[in-house]
Amino acid sequence: MALARGGVAPKTWASRSWWTLSVACLIAVIGLLFSIFAFVISRGFPALKPQLFTTVTQGTAGGLLNAIAGTFLLVAIGLALVIVVGLGTAIWTVEFAPPWAKRVIRFMIDVLAGVPSIVVGYFLYVALVEEAGWGFSLLAGALALAIFMLPYVVRAADVAFSNVPRALREGAVALGARPAMVIFSIDFPWALPGILTGLLVATGIGLGETAPLIYTAGWSNYLPSLAPTHSPVGYLTYVVWTYISQPFPESHQLAYAAAALLMIFVFVTNLLARSFVEYKTNRSR
Amino acid sequence: MASMDIRVGDTARAVSPAALQRTGSQTILTVLTGLAALASFAIIFLILFFLVAYAYPAIRFNGLGFFTSMIWNIGNQYGSGTISRAGFSAQPGASFGALVFIFGTVVTAALTMVVAVPLSLMVALSLVYTVPRRIRPIANALVELMAGVPSVVYGLWGMVVLVPWIGTKLAPWVTTHFGFIPFLGGSAGSGNGLAASVFILALMVIPIMVATTRDVILAQSNSLFEASMALGSTSWQAMTRAVLPSVRGGVVASVLLAFGRALGETMAVLMVCGAAINSFPQNVFGPVNTIAAVIVSQLESALTDASGMAQRSLAELACSLFLITLIINVVARGIMRGADRREGRAA
Amino acid sequence: MRKTLALAFAALLAAGLLGGGKALAGTSLLETGSTLVYPLMNLWVADYQRAHGDVQITTQGTGSGTGISQAISGVAQIGASDAYMADAQMKNSPMLNIPLAISAQQINYNIPGLNAKHLNLSGPVLAGIYSGAIKFWDDKQIAEMNKGVKLPHNQIVPIHRADGSGDTFIFSQYLSFSTPSWSHGPGYGTTISWPSVSTAVGATGNPGMVQTCQNTPNSIAYIGVSFLDETNKAHLGYAALKNRSGRFVLPTASTIHAAASSLTSKTPSDERISLIFAPGAESYPIINYEYAIVNPQQGDAAKGAELKKFLTWALASNGGQQAKFLNAVHFLPLPEKIVKLSKAQIAKIK
Repeated sequence: MALARGGVAPKTWASRSWWTLSVACLIAVIGLLFSIFAFVISRGFPALKPQLFTTVTQGTAGGLLNAIAGTFLLVAIGLALVIVVGLGTAIWTVEFAPPWAKRVIRFMIDVLAGVPSIVVGYFLYVALVEEAGWGFSLLAGALALAIFMLPYVVRAADVAFSNVPRALREGAVALGARPAMVIFSIDFPWALPGILTGLLVATGIGLGETAPLIYTAGWSNYLPSLAPTHSPVGYLTYVVWTYISQPFPESHQLAYAAAALLMIFVFVTNLLARSFVEYKTNRSR
Repeated sequence: MASMDIRVGDTARAVSPAALQRTGSQTILTVLTGLAALASFAIIFLILFFLVAYAYPAIRFNGLGFFTSMIWNIGNQYGSGTISRAGFSAQPGASFGALVFIFGTVVTAALTMVVAVPLSLMVALSLVYTVPRRIRPIANALVELMAGVPSVVYGLWGMVVLVPWIGTKLAPWVTTHFGFIPFLGGSAGSGNGLAASVFILALMVIPIMVATTRDVILAQSNSLFEASMALGSTSWQAMTRAVLPSVRGGVVASVLLAFGRALGETMAVLMVCGAAINSFPQNVFGPVNTIAAVIVSQLESALTDASGMAQRSLAELACSLFLITLIINVVARGIMRGADRREGRAA
Repeated sequence: MRKTLALAFAALLAAGLLGGGKALAGTSLLETGSTLVYPLMNLWVADYQRAHGDVQITTQGTGSGTGISQAISGVAQIGASDAYMADAQMKNSPMLNIPLAISAQQINYNIPGLNAKHLNLSGPVLAGIYSGAIKFWDDKQIAEMNKGVKLPHNQIVPIHRADGSGDTFIFSQYLSFSTPSWSHGPGYGTTISWPSVSTAVGATGNPGMVQTCQNTPNSIAYIGVSFLDETNKAHLGYAALKNRSGRFVLPTASTIHAAASSLTSKTPSDERISLIFAPGAESYPIINYEYAIVNPQQGDAAKGAELKKFLTWALASNGGQQAKFLNAVHFLPLPEKIVKLSKAQIAKIK
């Protein structure tokens, strides 16, 4: 067993068997995770046909265009809301807030991150879909996603803004830069990779949410109408959850295809997020 | 730490007299971003206020029975008349006891931790110390990818692969050979149940816990590990007696966060839990139900209740879940901040 | 940098506002509710769209309760439900209960070696099984009605729906109508308080019922007839049930039809009636109307008109009642007289 770190290891029977056990655990866990990955890919890829991307869901089968478009639209609007609110929160926390307020805001963001998705979903269902009479709608769904994505974006932006070198800011201020200018022309460019990483992580979260959308966005076989209320929206996770329970093989195909697409989207956002992290670490060296 | 921050507002006032004349733009910026910062308060406050207000009739109607009764029955919607308690009425025969769901929520999450914590620690240790350099990025990438996979995809795998395997292979084998051990004997069931829920939840939280544990070990351990080795410890002793205790706080916090996640997870559990109502599992393979899952699966029935009490009782369930996860999170954050301070990281 | 960001925000805002103000092309209808009706709706809508491109009909399988509630709140134009609305609900919000087709439910079981045979079962025996009074397959009461069948001495696993369901509604109604002790005990509804039986298992959705029954030897389950192909594929047996005349009948097109015809003349003009435990020697005891719950006051005139058009098509013998649709889910068309009643109700939509 090659110890990657830590030089000469005195080898005893106990130590060696513990390490063996830990490697066994690693192999078991990695193996299981890989088998889930392989399951989705092997069932989903054969079901990924070109017409999935050009036609909408019809009856028991059809395409996924409506769900793909709906997923991206929901996430995009959710992100737009989150960018405004999340970056605002981070800027205020880092730049303007007194120390006690910083602590409180960071705590509230942590609390928000821990709220179970179904609680938010049920809240929005009762408050917006029923009481406010919005019906299943784009805006209700996007709000649900925004509530979930907010903590991830605020945390990332908070860290990113806090890490902007002080000397840079002080220099700018000394040269007579206005606070807004400091924020937009120094903080933002510096913090951008960190913020983008946060936004990508949030995108990944938003793409995969189901529970808060079932009773807010509803579901639609058609392309999203762009009307903010009174018009339900389709999304990929719904297809996975509902179509696997239909008594038709072609419906199951659709569920597997949707699951594979979700996996690919998550993979891509992950990859992008990593590349930003790498860009950031390279630059700071 | 915070007192050393150079805040733009302060510096502008102190350093640049010119900035004083331009406070207009700063005020607008402060107000706008301050409003944004208020949003997180507003959201949490609104959720709590609204759910509690909406659930109020149910809280009064159900009383303490909500926590002690195991019977969840929305009553007979085709019956005549209504029953009423504390001035609020429901369908005849209605009883909203959440004990089964509270039990299921806590037990699945706790058992998940029992399975996932040692596994995650082992995997993280082995990922840091034993995996060959070339394979490590692949293993890391897989762990990170799986941490981001949507829960409904885990649920799909659970429904199609895991549940049939437990129902036809694992459960019959365990109940026949180890049936003498309490909670392992009896009916093998369908595969849907406690074991499947714990299995799938563990697989969902392990990548998250491995990633965070790995990071705290990496950030902390090298010098400690080497020092301990130099003192003649075996590598395992160096790991468990020197490195692990030093990152204990970070690990405990990540465990509590994963616990919070397991408590609130909805879709994957819903798809494999067996959706028990009015019954406790007879063994580890028996059907269970969690608060999160029951809100999704029972909302449909609740909507048929003309008195609305079933929907309000679901809101009471949502409130309870919110409070449970809130407490867990507060504790987790407290431990994490304390640990960060002790372990010398920036809070 | 600031300008770019400001522009980006402005663009997003504008996109949002434009999207909000944009009028829909054509009219859109939303159908939501019963998961039993969902596959049929999907077949219907796909076909209907070919001739009627200007209307968009979205279908959702959310469950009967959601269907009724969304139709009342106006979120959906059609709420699909396996059960007619209760009086208490009708009093709060008077809705039209329009039958669209006739469905049935089979009692499936998985007894190794006996699944190819059709066991005889009755309401009181099923009530006994689901309340724990009848514990073994070779119980005297089961053996009495299955002379010549070698029943195993194995413990019965009763499987019930854990989620709210129209299937639970019609099954528990059969038990209630045929067994006084059940009607005074658990009663009927879309979710009922199941008696505590140590072997009992809950399952979610009809697919969950099929899977659980298939995986659990000696189990019994009630499953919607649209899943007949699935239960056959899973090699589950299905029972002949004792009807009001005391005869054991299998769910076939003719026995379902017989049951429906026997209650056709009794169906009131608001069409809220249970078809469970119908009289008649050949009547299969667990059948029901699948309803469209519709608000007669559709504020939006264009939606109202399209809704009437679609529902009328669904009831037409050269439209939705064609065998090619109904056979796929093993539903039966409505009798002529019921179609008339339904059409009279559709005429009330404004």
